[in-house]
Amino acid sequence: MVKYLFIALIGLTVSSTTAFAQNTADHSGHDKDHGEHSGHDHSSDDHSHDHSGHDMDHSEHDHDNDDHGGMDHGHDHPMDLPGEHGMLHHDHDHTDHHAHGEHHHHGDGHIMDHEGTHIMGQNFDKLPSSCSSISEDIEITVRAGRKYAKKFPGTAFAFDQQEWRVKPCSRITWNFVNEDKVRHQFMMHGLPRYLYPLGMFHLENTGPRTVTGTMIVPAADETYLVHCDIAQHMEKGMKAQLVVGKGGENLPSIPGLTPYVLNDIYEAEDLPKVSDKTGTGGKNVKPITQQITDFFNDNVPVSSLALIGLLFGFICAPLFARMVALRKKEASNTR
Amino acid sequence: MPIRYFMAILAFCGIFTTTNAQASLKLPATIKVDPAALEFEPMCDPKIPASWRKAQVIEGVQIEASEQCSPDNPYLIAAVVKGTNNISMNTLMETGLSPDAVIKTDDIDGDGDPDRITIKLEVIELNGRTPDFEGLVPQFEIAPGITPGAWVFAPKTSGMSTENFESLRANYLLRLPSPVIRVEVGDIVQIVVENTHYFPHTIHLHGVDHPFSHHEYNGGKYGNDGVPQFSELDLMPGQRRVYEFQARQPGTMFYHCHVQTHTHLAMGLAGMIIIEENRPNNWLQTLNVGGGKVRHPSVAVKEHYDQEYDLHYHAMDKELTQIIQKYNDPRLIAREMNRRYDMTDSTEDYFTLNGLSFPYTLRESMIIAEPDQKIKLRMLNSGGELVAIHTHGHHATITHYDGTEHNPMAWITRDVFDMAPAQRLDLLLDTTNDGLHSYGEGAWLFHDHREKGITTDGMSEGGSMSMIAYKSYLDEVGMPIAAHGTDLSIYFTKEYYQRKLPIWQHMDEAGFLGPPGVRSGFNPETKATMINLLGGFIAGILIYLLITRRQNASAAMASIAAKIKGLKGGKANG
Repeated sequence: MVKYLFIALIGLTVSSTTAFAQNTADHSGHDKDHGEHSGHDHSSDDHSHDHSGHDMDHSEHDHDNDDHGGMDHGHDHPMDLPGEHGMLHHDHDHTDHHAHGEHHHHGDGHIMDHEGTHIMGQNFDKLPSSCSSISEDIEITVRAGRKYAKKFPGTAFAFDQQEWRVKPCSRITWNFVNEDKVRHQFMMHGLPRYLYPLGMFHLENTGPRTVTGTMIVPAADETYLVHCDIAQHMEKGMKAQLVVGKGGENLPSIPGLTPYVLNDIYEAEDLPKVSDKTGTGGKNVKPITQQITDFFNDNVPVSSLALIGLLFGFICAPLFARMVALRKKEASNTR
Repeated sequence: MPIRYFMAILAFCGIFTTTNAQASLKLPATIKVDPAALEFEPMCDPKIPASWRKAQVIEGVQIEASEQCSPDNPYLIAAVVKGTNNISMNTLMETGLSPDAVIKTDDIDGDGDPDRITIKLEVIELNGRTPDFEGLVPQFEIAPGITPGAWVFAPKTSGMSTENFESLRANYLLRLPSPVIRVEVGDIVQIVVENTHYFPHTIHLHGVDHPFSHHEYNGGKYGNDGVPQFSELDLMPGQRRVYEFQARQPGTMFYHCHVQTHTHLAMGLAGMIIIEENRPNNWLQTLNVGGGKVRHPSVAVKEHYDQEYDLHYHAMDKELTQIIQKYNDPRLIAREMNRRYDMTDSTEDYFTLNGLSFPYTLRESMIIAEPDQKIKLRMLNSGGELVAIHTHGHHATITHYDGTEHNPMAWITRDVFDMAPAQRLDLLLDTTNDGLHSYGEGAWLFHDHREKGITTDGMSEGGSMSMIAYKSYLDEVGMPIAAHGTDLSIYFTKEYYQRKLPIWQHMDEAGFLGPPGVRSGFNPETKATMINLLGGFIAGILIYLLITRRQNASAAMASIAAKIKGLKGGKANG
């Protein structure tokens, strides 16, 4: 009898430690993420000639070189795609749109064309007061769309990268490639207001299309928010950060990079599975490990409470042992 | 010795009962809420320039005056009348619209107005969740402090979804309800949906003359009716689709999302679409953002009416609207909305007119009348239940049911207008003071006469209630003047709708009906608890004494018994 009890106890201990291990594994995963960040931070010095975070593929540009604003009116016109414009429009000539569609300059580096392609806060040559010269000229291609959200469960939209690292005082030419057929934005906040209206650098277009804009980052080590401000796009994944030099504090809830401040609660759902259908009497005999796990899943209540109990037990066990020892001692003394 | 104990217990009981009697004699005083403790909002949104209210001409477009305190942006009206492709960049910048939001080209029939109309709509979430902080983005209040999660079709905008980077408030174009769309019979209309939302959606053009499918489009792969099961696949996030039609019949119609319709429609993906009669030189106000007064009515409407108003009634269930505020992960939102939310157990809590509830309806959805006017009202009910709209002081005449003209010989004039879900009514409101059509000038209420329709989550005064206010009853900012002269400011506080404000306080000096304070002394429940506790304590002590002093006790018992026996013996002896 005692033997069976002992076996049951061991079983309980094993299963609960498994649960414990799972929990700690999750945590360590988290910790590892953080570790990676700090790793990044430390290696930021040699990052400048690595550029792993930058897409240097110039062949991707589909904007005219002579079009300084980087807007492409004619050839990437989604309305020109066959079938996109609908049956009643086949004979319709788009020239009237285009005649109207010369892009408009508004000062402050704000440019917008007739289809809402937008460049705000463009800055080719005005140096931030903290910079004596431009440290380097770089070009970064950012892709935006639904498909980049695939690798981040629980998101709907994303950029192809979640972090870019640049040297202080670099001049960056951003090629923003929107691969969806809706509006997306590349909106950067927190820049010096004497150079950038409202402290913003902002690219926006309706895909599939590319827009290009240039800006110069200040000298200070800082991390800037990059996001799409269309309702729920940032919340559902379209968020990234630009790290200048050693950077500042990480921003929260960047997919795959930093944790959410507020987390959803996930629980198991009883959804139909193929294994339910075949049953135990079916041809697929479950492996022995599966049977053991099932046994413990069904019969041993494993919960965080069990874990706490176990921990409590471990702490108290020596005390009990001591109490027993004391009793014995007392008994022998009285004898 | 026993007599002494008995006296002590008696004295204790006496003290106890007298204190209780004193407590019920002295009921608590009324508490008065100091108005200084309330957060009063300005009755009129201070961000809206007063100049917007005047009649004016922008880009050659005649814009009628709108005396309400939150009139529509006149630049927006000019932009959607001319088309965003036909206006100056400065006007466009005043609107916040994308330059391709409303494109008007090609006078095909040569009658002086454009006949190809392209309208671009995005799908926008209001009052949604963010994983970054406790709060909602972008924020849209239907009443002070009331922010139900919602989805809308919105005109294609440009730039930020909020007013600015510091603000959480939604850009003014992103709001409930989905905008009213106006086109003409014979116009070649394209409604381009760019699905900027994280769920799939479609548009169904309820009542609008549209082909079931257009075979040339997308190789005949997709229909045009918006029904995912039969006409076309759901339009997934990040995708674009064009709905096309060339309507042959005029009327007040309805458009809405047909994906998971029971929730998507209730969430706000529903709007009015009006097909106006074809007239020469008929430049229409293609969008009426937020509904209400049409500041540039069609030629046909102006032939018979002095003014026109779009009135869209909607209702929302609090539990449904909270789903997008509880979860951030789209998969969890999909699970809750599609599989766990049971609409058959739901009740509607928020009742809106043109996306707002009282008192915000007073800012922009009043009917502002003058005597001897003919006013056209177009009404839609997109809620889940019947509404019964009652006009105080007026009997109006139903001219159209569901966009189709009723035989004028059989027109019905009444003062309660019932609309089943999805139904539309066109009304003629005649302000001639003849005791039938109008009883004269005033600030007359018009409201849903299902009484819950005048509440916001059960708190009255709220809901879809608004006014027929004559100009002589408007103050300088466009708010109705109450006959008794007191103002409506208490309704413009969050505390009122949090149920923290006693309703009659302002006229109840003595506080007969205000909230009472806390009663001093023990209340009956506390008293019972205390007695039980005391009883248990005494019993415990007794038992303890009984056990520890067993021998003493038995000796005492024995002596008592002996005494009794002795007494008996004595008696017997005596």
